[in-house]
Order: sequence, then C-alpha cells, then structure tokens
Amino acid sequence: MLLSEMATKDVFKNTKQRMSKYQDEFFEQLTAIEVDAHWFRRAFHTFAASFLFYYLLPDEEWMNAIKIVVPIIIVFCMTLIEYRRLRGALDHQRFFGLRSYEKKQPASYLYFGIAVVLLFLLFPQQIAIPCILCASFTDPIIGETRHYFGKTRAYTIGFIVSLFFFFITWYRADWWILILVSVIGAAGALIGEAKKLRLIDDDFMIQMLPALLLLLFWQGSLAFGINILPPKIILPI
Amino acid sequence: MNTDVKKTKNSNNRRMATIQRLLLRLELWFAPLLLLIPIIVSVVFILEWYTKGFINGLSEYDGELLLGLLLLAGNLVFDIPFVRSIRTLKKKQ
Repeated sequence: MLLSEMATKDVFKNTKQRMSKYQDEFFEQLTAIEVDAHWFRRAFHTFAASFLFYYLLPDEEWMNAIKIVVPIIIVFCMTLIEYRRLRGALDHQRFFGLRSYEKKQPASYLYFGIAVVLLFLLFPQQIAIPCILCASFTDPIIGETRHYFGKTRAYTIGFIVSLFFFFITWYRADWWILILVSVIGAAGALIGEAKKLRLIDDDFMIQMLPALLLLLFWQGSLAFGINILPPKIILPI
Repeated sequence: MNTDVKKTKNSNNRRMATIQRLLLRLELWFAPLLLLIPIIVSVVFILEWYTKGFINGLSEYDGELLLGLLLLAGNLVFDIPFVRSIRTLKKKQ
C-alpha cells in the first residue's frame, strides 16, 4: 500500500516536473519570436479593411444605437491611450511598430480610427467603403512599390488601384457618374496620401479628402435634382 | 529539501518574469488577429453572397462577393510576407 502510494507520488512529481519543463520551453520559444515592424504595419493596414463588417450588422433600432456608440467609445479609448503615451504615463516602447516621428505626436492608428468612425457615422457607405479600401490597400501598395519603381510610378499604381476601388463600389451607377466619381475619388486619395502635412497624418487624409470631395459632388448634384448615389453594395444581415 | 524549495521558487519567479515579458509584447497578441479576422470577414461576405444572392438569383449581393474576394486577396498579399518575416527572424535566432 505504502509502496504503491510512493510510486504514485513519484509519478505525479515527475509529470509535474516534465510539464513545467515543457511550459518553460514553450514560453522561451514564444519569447524568441521576433515580429518585423515593417510588415506588421502593412498587415495592420490591410486588416483595417475588415471594419467593413460594420455594414453587415443588422439594421435594427438597438443595433443602430450600438453602431453609433461602440465606434465612438473605441476611438475615445484610443485617444486616451495616446494622450497617456504622449504624457509619458505609458512607455513608448510598449507600442510596437510606431515610427520614430510618432514619439512626440499622436500615432497614425489614432488618425486612421478617427477617419473610419467619421466615415461610418457621417457618410453614406457608397462613399465610405472605397475610402476605407484606399487607406487599407492603396497606402501600403504605394509604400511597397515606391521601393522598387520610384515615387512617380508608385503614385501612378496607387491611382489605378484607388480607381479600381471606386469602380467596384459604384459599378451600378451610370457610366458617366462611375467615371467621374472614380477619377475624383482616386485623385483625392492620392493627394491625401502624397501631400504630407505636419499636423494631420496621411492615414486620415487618404480617407477624408476623397470622402469630402465626393460628398460635395453628391450634394451638388442633388441641388440639380440628380441623385448620383448607386444602390448600397453591402446589405445588412 | 531547502535547495529543492529554492529551486522551485526560482523557476517559478523566472516563469512569471517570462510571462510578464510576453504579456507586454502586444505584437504577439495582435499578429494572430491581424491574420485571422480579415479572412473570417471575407468568408462571411462570400457566404452572404452565396446564401442570399447566388442561391436566390439576386444580383444585389454581387458587390459583397467582390468585396469578399478583394479582402481575401488583398490581405493574403500582405500577410504572406508578414508571416515569412516572423519565421526568418525566428530561424536566425
């Protein structure tokens, strides 16, 4: 009886030791993983296109309230975190992938978030969707192609890609509207990306500039009795 | 006996320190989300198109198919080098 009890204890102790050894090894392996900041930033940009899920959310009264409140709360939290970081309460090193110039100014993810929330709340989805796609894909595409083909060609590629995003969102509009909107939107996105401002990040401008231009175009056309907006591209679940 | 207890305490402290270090590395927590969420969202878009648009023969949902494919392709283009960059750095170490 005593012997078997001791053997059980030994087995238990051995298993425990082995388990903690495996755990230590696993943690050591995790610690050894290094993430490349450059590609992390690119992946973060393309990830932002998933925010379009917002337009799939049901169109019900309670959900509409959530659709307004939750994005505002998220941006408020982001602002609070950035405020604390800039005041020195949060260590800059904890924020992986930040650029060196973002050390003393709000990080681009905050600008990106504010622009997305403004688009969600103030613009129709026909305008908001291509603008979010431009920030998610055109920006990293220009960034990558700039290394290989130079600035001018990279911006040309960026313009064509943006044009494509406006085309697929407005494909059900009349052909002249489709062309006009795509050119205005793509030009706005490109200027927003290319024109570097000291206070406002390009992640904000690449979304807001084409959106504002198209809003003006839409409202202007409404004044002439023409509604240029095509049917919605994403219908709620 | 005492040395055994000390050893266990030391290894526990070491483990706690490692866990704390890992918890602060936000990129390790974000990386799986950055990879998985866009794929899930694009699959939802494509499923929506299939169940509501394709089966019922409604063209209103074609835009969701386009967006789903765009999301999937666009993310894969940038996710592959991202995943590769993680691996190579790991191998070097």
